[in-house]
This record gives sequence, structure tokens and C-alpha cells, in this order.
Amino acid sequence: MVDVLVLVNGQADVPSQNTLELLGAARRLADATRGKVKAVVLEGSQSGLGAALCAYGADQVLRAEHPFLKEYQSDAYVATLDQVASQAGAQVILLADDARGKEVAPRLAHRLNGGVVTEVMGIAGDGSAVLFQRQMYGGRTIATFAARRFPIVATLKPRAVEPAIEQAGRSGEEAPVAVVLDAPLLRTRVVEKVTEEVRGVKLENAKVVVSGGRGLKGPEPFKQLEELAQLLKGAVGASRAATDAGWIPASRQVGQTGKSVSPDLYIAVGISGATQHLAGMTGSKTIVAINTDPDAPIFKVAHLGVVGDFKAVLPKFIEKCRELTQD
Amino acid sequence: MNIIVCIKQIIDPEIPTEQFKLDPTTQRQIRGGLSLVISVYDQNALEVALQLREKQGGKITALCLGDSGATGAVKSALGMGVDNGVLVSDPALLALDSFGVAHVLAMAIRKIGVPDLILTGCVSGDTGNKVVGPLIAEELSLPCVTFVTRVEVKDGKAVMRRIVEDGYELVEGPLPAVVSILSDDSNVPRYSKLKDIMVAAKKQVPIWKAADLDLDGAKVGAGAARLELRDVSIPRRESRCEMLDGDTPEGRAEKLALRLRELKLI
Amino acid sequence: MDFELTDAQRMFQETARQFADKEIVPIAEKVDQLGQFPRETIQKLGELGFMGVAVPEAYGGAGADTVSYVVALEEISRACASHGVIMSVNNSLYCGPLVKFGTEEQKRRFLTPVAGGKSAGCFCLSEPGAGSDAANQQTTARREGDSYVLNGTKNFITNGAEADCAIVFATVNRALKHKGICALVVERGTPGFAVARVEKKLGIRGSSCAQIAMDNCRVPAANLLGQEGEGWKIALATLDGGRIGIAAQAVGIARAALEASLSYSKQRVQFGRPVVANQAIQFMLADMAMEIDAARLLTFNAALLKDQGLRHTKESCMAKLYASEVAMRAGIKGVQVFGGYGYMMDYPAQRFMRDAKVTEIYEGTSEVQRLVIAHDLLS
Repeated sequence: MVDVLVLVNGQADVPSQNTLELLGAARRLADATRGKVKAVVLEGSQSGLGAALCAYGADQVLRAEHPFLKEYQSDAYVATLDQVASQAGAQVILLADDARGKEVAPRLAHRLNGGVVTEVMGIAGDGSAVLFQRQMYGGRTIATFAARRFPIVATLKPRAVEPAIEQAGRSGEEAPVAVVLDAPLLRTRVVEKVTEEVRGVKLENAKVVVSGGRGLKGPEPFKQLEELAQLLKGAVGASRAATDAGWIPASRQVGQTGKSVSPDLYIAVGISGATQHLAGMTGSKTIVAINTDPDAPIFKVAHLGVVGDFKAVLPKFIEKCRELTQD
Repeated sequence: MNIIVCIKQIIDPEIPTEQFKLDPTTQRQIRGGLSLVISVYDQNALEVALQLREKQGGKITALCLGDSGATGAVKSALGMGVDNGVLVSDPALLALDSFGVAHVLAMAIRKIGVPDLILTGCVSGDTGNKVVGPLIAEELSLPCVTFVTRVEVKDGKAVMRRIVEDGYELVEGPLPAVVSILSDDSNVPRYSKLKDIMVAAKKQVPIWKAADLDLDGAKVGAGAARLELRDVSIPRRESRCEMLDGDTPEGRAEKLALRLRELKLI
Repeated sequence: MDFELTDAQRMFQETARQFADKEIVPIAEKVDQLGQFPRETIQKLGELGFMGVAVPEAYGGAGADTVSYVVALEEISRACASHGVIMSVNNSLYCGPLVKFGTEEQKRRFLTPVAGGKSAGCFCLSEPGAGSDAANQQTTARREGDSYVLNGTKNFITNGAEADCAIVFATVNRALKHKGICALVVERGTPGFAVARVEKKLGIRGSSCAQIAMDNCRVPAANLLGQEGEGWKIALATLDGGRIGIAAQAVGIARAALEASLSYSKQRVQFGRPVVANQAIQFMLADMAMEIDAARLLTFNAALLKDQGLRHTKESCMAKLYASEVAMRAGIKGVQVFGGYGYMMDYPAQRFMRDAKVTEIYEGTSEVQRLVIAHDLLS
């Protein structure tokens, strides 16, 4: 019997896409092992959220309220979840693999003397074991791990698992959880937040992604990628080589330490296909690669390839796409 | 200000696909004659440390847990300009999980002396795990900030640029602290100067065994692993890449557009 | 006999390879096609210490051994032969003689800036009438008070257009033949010292090959390297080391040809399969690989002897001779493997072939190398 505790992000009335995926995975695991799904909400009370969480599969919604939880602060989150998890007694604790989840999960696992596994793409449970699947060696392999002790804190890779299905009329229990947090506990603090303006489609949700890499040799060609992305109603991404060179903001990075995308169409321009890049985009349905090097690893994962200099290929490609999409 | 950078030696992750092979018994990558490198983000961490030393002075120590060949990684770090290096290497410590690794590194850090700042790469270059930094922080009860690209130190406090989904945060924290480093254009690892390599080659790298550290058997002993690796498989690719042909790049570009239209993707 | 590289040598190789792959490979084609001196990358190489690899630390160098120099030079040359020759001339032909024959003062003034990468050097021995017959120096040096006045023309000087400092050979007395030759350091900007023309070459087009004209060029006597009449000895000793550098450069070029051929033949499909499936191509690749290994070993052998302070004239000749002929064969085979595309300027094979040719000619033609080896066998 595996009880699953899910950390719900966000303060809105409606569960986020991440939360629905967490609930989906949690519900399937709980159903397979006759366990329960508990959702914990931090950061203030939104009365609608609790009911929505239950409709999407939570058996119990725990609300932890504390002034220190109004904004994300890692020490406060870790300490809170430590207390909540101990009380809830869940065997598996799920968080989204976002900036917070990555920071909190290992520390929480350590406090609970349990295990941790990150960027999970699949969870399965039967009578004998709870299994977690994740990429290893930068997307070259899929590894399956079995829990040898509990609890296991797992972060879920976004858009890798099926989200929960709403069941109208499904209800559950809501309960407050008392949390004790002392001020000296909070050692770090956010002094400034700089949010990048996103125009058009968000990279992680785009159905079409056009990415540029080292082969572009500078920031200028990204304007062409922008043009193409707009034409195809998609978003522009980049490899680590391009963001580390400062040609495009880091938030555009697709890869192991950037965003994970799974669009219908992924066009990689001047990207060699480093393993940590592939880790972020092999979920794409159709991958197109444009590169001067026929030996580039990207061609091993691409479905369609053009060997050539982007300076000659792109303008013609954009022109032809424009012509085709106009009729 | 003193810094310890935790580094890991891995098989070059950018070898061509044909050269990537798994050992069926251990389920780990086979070394063969493939070249070894310092894990990518650990290199960025070394660069951050070197830049901080330029501004603040102090000493940098590279700490590595690995097999006996990992002295190469420590030497490479010394070649970049780091002051000292330590290798923890023991047959009994070769198959640890992340908790075991963090514990060993934490005990080694205690033995060296907890410095002002502990840096690691944000993600392990081979396993893809992102946990060792935060686990070391828990072992040493230190504050931890992850996915940081820039660190500045003022009045005994660190101000760190932490990358989040839609931008970044500036996080302030006391020292000592554990910070995991992400790459960006400000921390591109420098090339080693040849004269630094000469100095590094002459330096002795002490090798510590398990017995030299006061280790908790529950974390590093046989059966300590909290998850069991059941299976590693290479996903099968159904089809080869369809290369659009044509005499000119422009011709191939046109064919690509037409093919995508055929597939109803545009 | 231990064939393993030491830690330092391995790290030199690693750094050179990383730099070559990231900074030089992307610009190599452009450097060749535009015939442009790659100022930015050469400066970066200088800052890292590649321009004075074996120069003692006290004079701004890395203080490394010749084997370290050879492995680094091979990596750089593999990426771009022009970068390779610029590095080789600086290290072997300019820094070399200063290390061996310079006074403290001369080392401080003329060696340290070049070894540290702040300026570049060149070696002015060849003249229109003195190629293989290098001792037939027409450039004169006339002693006047505490100066020497130089008159004459130097030919085919690598780095000539960019160098801040030159080691110039001139004779004080033609009647003394080679015993009259002196070596002097001349700084750019010295009145009467000018770059008369820059040649257009078949290969290594990123490095300048200049004709230098000296017209009553007055140089302080303090700039004399060694003694009057010692110039020929200095030239020969320098060329011994220079040959090892060129051998390493040639190995690099040959390797570039092999790697490009391997890559191309794996993806070029004819008759329904990659051309590498044909034995004819495989045999070519096998020969290239074998000869490259052999050339490298000869080069290491010469380098090791030099490091041990032992005589290495014959060995450095053998290394240079063999490696340059290997590079030429590999360059030609590379073009052949590429087929029609080997003949096209848009593909790299032709560049390796063009770059390889000069290695059989400069720093002693293959014919001269054979003479020296035979002379050594017969003595």
C-alpha cells in the first residue's frame, strides 16, 4: 500500500499543468497499490483549489499556513515538508522538477532519511516494488530504479507523464496542518527577482520549437529563427553553447539544465546534439536537423536532416514555408 | 576566502553514439579507452571559484571522490589554477549512491576544514542527478542554493544569481554555504595556462581512503543504497534519419519544407 | 621504455586540443581562404603560453620539455597548419636560439616578451640567393663603433610581416664563408629595416611569408647573439630544433587529412553503401594511420634526445623528412578519398594537401635532410 504525498505549487484556484501531472502519477500509483493520495498546499488558502484537487484525484488536501511560506524560501519549505510528510506518513512524495523541486527534494529526502530520484518520467507500482524511470547518460539511456526504503522523494519531469483526469463529484477531505517554523531557520533570502518578458508562445508549451546552437556563430542569426518560429507559430530555443556564449538568454535553453520540451516539431539549427541537449528534446515527435557536419550526433536522433550551412539553408526554407503556409 | 570545489571524473559525455556501450552486469557505461573529463558543470564551478579568488584572495581546493585514475581530474583542476587537490579513493567507496557520495564528501570537507564556500556542479555529467550539492549541505547543516550562475561576496555574505524558469533571482545568504553551479556566459571554464600545468604536474595529490575518514557505515556500507538500479536500456530508434538530398543547400531547404508539408507538420 | 605521456604532457595535449577544437577549427577555412593572419587566436595562444613552450619560466615561458611542445604543436597544426607554423617559428626558430645563445640582458629584452605571447618573432636566414645553400649569405654586417650596419635582402620569412623582433643572419666578411656569419636581433621599427613584400602562397596562407629589405640598418652591437662568426653554428643548432617543430606540424596536417577522410568516407554513399566499405578506401586509410603513427614516433624520438641534451641532428632530420613526406601522401590520399569533392575549395581535403607541400621544402628541403642523414651515416 503506497500513499503518495503531492506538493501543489501555485496559489491559483485551478491546479497548474504540473500539479495535474503530479496528481495523475500519484493517483495511478495509489490505485495500483490501494493507497491514498494526499496533496499539500503551502502559501495561503484558496478555497476553490482544495475541491479541484479532490476532483483530480486527491483523497486528502493538507493546508499548511505560515507567514514564512508566503514566498518560496528553501529552508522554510524543507522544514515544512519535513513536518507534513512525517505526519502524513506517505511512502512516496512527489514534487514538480522545477527550480523549487530540484532544491527541496534532496534536502527533504535527507531529513526523512529516505531516498531521492529526480526528473522521473514514469512511476509504476505493484505488490512487490515501486519503480521509477528516468534518463541517464544525458538521454542516451532510460534507467529504472526500485525503492529499497521509504519514503522516496521524487521530482517529476514536466510533460513526461499523463495528467490526472477530472472526475466530477469526486470529493475528499481538507485539513489544516500545523507547522512550526522559527525565524533563524531561514538562512537565505531572495533580494531581487528579475523576470524575463515572454512574447508569444512559451517555450515549454510550444508545438513547434526552432532552436539554434553553436553553428550560428553569433546572436544575429537568432533573428532568423525568430522569424521562422513566428511563421510556424512556435517558440525559439537554444543549446547550452548558445546561451553560454551569451547570444540568447538562459531561459531559452533546451536541455538537461534548461527546459524540457516535447513539441510536435523540433528544428535544430547549427546544433551538434550534445547529450545534455538531447536530454531536453528527444521527446519531440518530429526532429529536423540542419548542420554542416554530417557526423553530428543530432543526425542520430533526427527524423529529417539537411547537411548544409544554415546561412544558405534557412532563408530558402523560410521562404518556402511562407509560400506553403500562405495557401 | 577559502573554497572547496567538489569535482567528479566522468567518461566524456560527447563521444559518438557508436562508442557508447553498457556493461550488462553492472548496468554502467563501459570505460574502454574513452577519454575522461571533469564533469561539465563542475568545470563551471571551478571557474566560479577561480574568479572569486581573483577578487577575494584565499585558497581553492578541488575535492574528488573516484577511482585511482581520478587523480587526472584533480590534476586538471590544479592545471586550471586551483591551489590544492584531494582525491578520496577506495575500492569500498566505488559503488555509492548519492547519499553515500555526499556523506563521504562532507566528511572529507570536515577533514580539510569547512571553508567559506563549497561549490559543486548543479547536475552530474553522467548520471544526470542533481542532488549531491544539497545533500552535502544537509550533512554539514549549511544553507544551500542551487542552479546558481554567479556568486559575489560582500561583507561575509554571498549574493548569488539563481536561475529559475522565467528569469533569475538574486539570493543572499550567509557563509559558509553550499552552492551548486549552472553554466552561463560569465563562467565559461578557462583554458589552463601552460605554466600552471607545469606547476600542477609537480604537485602531489594526497589520496585518502575510507579509513582516513570517520564514515557512517549505514550510509556507505553494502546495502546502504536507497534505490536499486534495476535496468538500464538504450531506447531503440525505429528509423534512420531521412537526409534530404539535392545539389545545393537551397535545393535541400526547399525539399525539407515540402516534406514537412507532406507530413502535415507545417 | 615508457611510451605513456607524463601528466604535464597529457594536460598540454588536452588544453591544446580543447583550444584547437573550440577556437581554431571554426576559423581555419576562413583563415586559409582569406589569407588572413589570425591575430586574435594567436594572441590567445600566446597568453596561454603556447609561444614559448620550452622557454624557461624565468623568461616568460612555460618551462616545459620538447615532448610537451611536440604534442601541443601537433594538436594546433591538426586544426590549422598556419597556426602551427606561426607557433613553430616563434618557439623553435626565434625563442630557441635566444634561450641557447642569448645573454641575460638579451633574454630579458628579446625573449621574455615573445615567450610570454606579447609579441612575435621571426628568423631571417633565407635570401634570394641563399635557400638550400644557406651559408651563401649576401647580407652584410659592417661594424661601425658600437653598431653593426646591415645591408641586404631576406626572403620567404615566416611571420615576417607581423614579427616585432627578428633574428637576422648576416656576414661580416664573405671571404670567411660560413665562418663570417653573425646572428643579430633586430627590432621592428629600426630605421632601414622594412617588409618589402608579402608573398602569395599555395598553402599555410594564414601565415605571412615576407621579403625583408635592410638598407643601412643600424643595430646595436649588444644585439649580437654569441660571437662574431658564430652565426652559422647558431643557425644549424636552431634548425635542429626547428625540424622537430615542423615534423610535429606535418604529423598534425596528416592527421587532419586522415580524420576528414574517415568522416567523409563513412557518409558518402555510392553503389548503395558508404565508400568506406570498399577495401580500396580502407587500404588508403590504413596506410595513412600507420604512417602517421610512425612519423609521430620519430618525432618523439628526436624530441626525447633533445630533452636529454643528446645529439639529435640525424634524428630530427629523419623526423622532419619522414613526417613531411607522410603529410604530403596523406594530403593527396585525402583528396582522392573525397573524390570530386576533394578538388572543390568548399571541402577541407584540398587545404591539407596544399598545406602539406611546404613541409617538404622549408627548414631544409627533403633533399638537404637526406644529405645530412647520409653525412651522419658516413662519418
